[in-house]
Amino acid sequence: MRKVAVVGVGQSVFGVRNDVTLQELAWEAVKEALEDAGISQKDVELSVVGTVGTRGYELMPSVVVNEYCGLVGKGPVRVEAACATGSAALWTAYTAVASGQVDVALAIGVEKMNEVDTATSLAVGGRAGNYLWEFHFYGTTFPAYYAFYATAHMAKFGTTEEHMAMVAVKNHKYAARNPKAHFQYEVTIEEVLTSRPIAWPIKLLDSSPISDGAAAVVLASDEVARRLTDTPVWIKAIGYSSDTSNFTRRLDYLGLRATRQAAEMAYKIAKISPGDVEVAEVHDCFTIAEIMAYEDLGFVEKGKGGLFIAEGQSELGGKVSVNLSGGLKAKGHPLGATGLAMIYELTKQLREERERGRQAPLRKYIGLAHNVGGTGHYAYVTVLTR
Amino acid sequence: MMSRKYVKREGPWIPSVPLVYNHKLPIANIEKYWKGLDEGRVFATKCTACGTVYYPPQIDCPSCRSQQMEWVELPKEGVIDTFTKIYARPQGYEDFEPYIVAIVHTGGLRIMGWLKAKDERCVKVGDRVVIRTEKVEKHNKHIIVFELTDKIC
Repeated sequence: MRKVAVVGVGQSVFGVRNDVTLQELAWEAVKEALEDAGISQKDVELSVVGTVGTRGYELMPSVVVNEYCGLVGKGPVRVEAACATGSAALWTAYTAVASGQVDVALAIGVEKMNEVDTATSLAVGGRAGNYLWEFHFYGTTFPAYYAFYATAHMAKFGTTEEHMAMVAVKNHKYAARNPKAHFQYEVTIEEVLTSRPIAWPIKLLDSSPISDGAAAVVLASDEVARRLTDTPVWIKAIGYSSDTSNFTRRLDYLGLRATRQAAEMAYKIAKISPGDVEVAEVHDCFTIAEIMAYEDLGFVEKGKGGLFIAEGQSELGGKVSVNLSGGLKAKGHPLGATGLAMIYELTKQLREERERGRQAPLRKYIGLAHNVGGTGHYAYVTVLTR
Repeated sequence: MMSRKYVKREGPWIPSVPLVYNHKLPIANIEKYWKGLDEGRVFATKCTACGTVYYPPQIDCPSCRSQQMEWVELPKEGVIDTFTKIYARPQGYEDFEPYIVAIVHTGGLRIMGWLKAKDERCVKVGDRVVIRTEKVEKHNKHIIVFELTDKIC
């Protein structure tokens, strides 16, 4: 397998984007990524389009996106892995370059979630599991699944609603400095705790918003990358795993087994340990998810995730700087875009191009992206270095 | 109050042509489960070749590739593993009051159901429950419900 580098990244402004169509939104990210790489569409040999697409009116969205972006004939391979769709797109493009099939591949992630109303969006998200045995009988919603984790984690380890609120406060703080974030404002612990319950113990401000957005990443082989840029960011490893569709068949509700397995694979391939990671974008679709991620990624032992945030270990300059983009929580979570937006952020971090107040201090230049699909159904862990 | 800067860009739009899905969901191989719920009983399937028990029930055993399954009834008591109360309700459930969904372990398996309780803050992981079924008139279906054994919440 050949070495593969990130040579160009782009991201649209995240938020409610009823001013544009899916393809117009994708183009915002693709244009920026191509210009960042200094290439044009003719240099791209494969396009991969990641979109969940279950809330949109286009049922074959990848061809629509591909045509609008001037990529006809370059693919597209359409991939879907729920909220980890962007990472599945990255893995597909990475594998094509690493294997030698192509020298330059473009991974695009895009989602429009606000074309339907919130009740419809909840009914679509509530089907993220096993429709008959969960949504059909019991009216589960996506927040409800993470609430199951929160309830179990609180009971077993003494994690509190305050710990969860601290994650929201931290991530809003960084999003307030990110001009592409959905929510560019800070919140207080009190505001999080008193926000309305969505699926107890998860409250509105524990939850990532329903966002529209796009992200794109250009990958190139070692040889091409060195010709294109002086600052390639290398993909050292992509680990992946999955878990049961039925929530009742999970090992327990204290963490994500798929994350632990994907992380183990990624650390082994990259020949690093969790302590080497300096900057991370982790999957904080709900605040409890970030607390579990600290544990499942090995930043802290199982059960101590609440303490980790309370001690400020995941703040900028802490043991590992986590979600300096604002995370899914405050930057926004347009499903198909999220995994690639993590790569966008980490590439900017590793190039040291970030704004004051949210550039991670780096010595080893090791970054990690952690992207979960569904309620732990999929997990991808990607290790990047400069 | 701090300033609240967020991205919300609206523009003129037109409605799409509505698309209505009415799916047929085959239950031919799990009718026993359906009838069980009507009678207040909850069934799983057990592979007679390798002994693996499945809940939700299924007719194929991917462990040993056998199709020799038997129906086994689950016990009527269990213990709460975790739960939530759903306030933001999805399409299809807007007409229900906020409801508590719990995951309960019983007979070496876990099952999902609605917990008949009002105050979620008084329910605890580890609480014992009685397992029964109940008809939901609005959806014309039977579901699993749990009732706390040792307290009223």
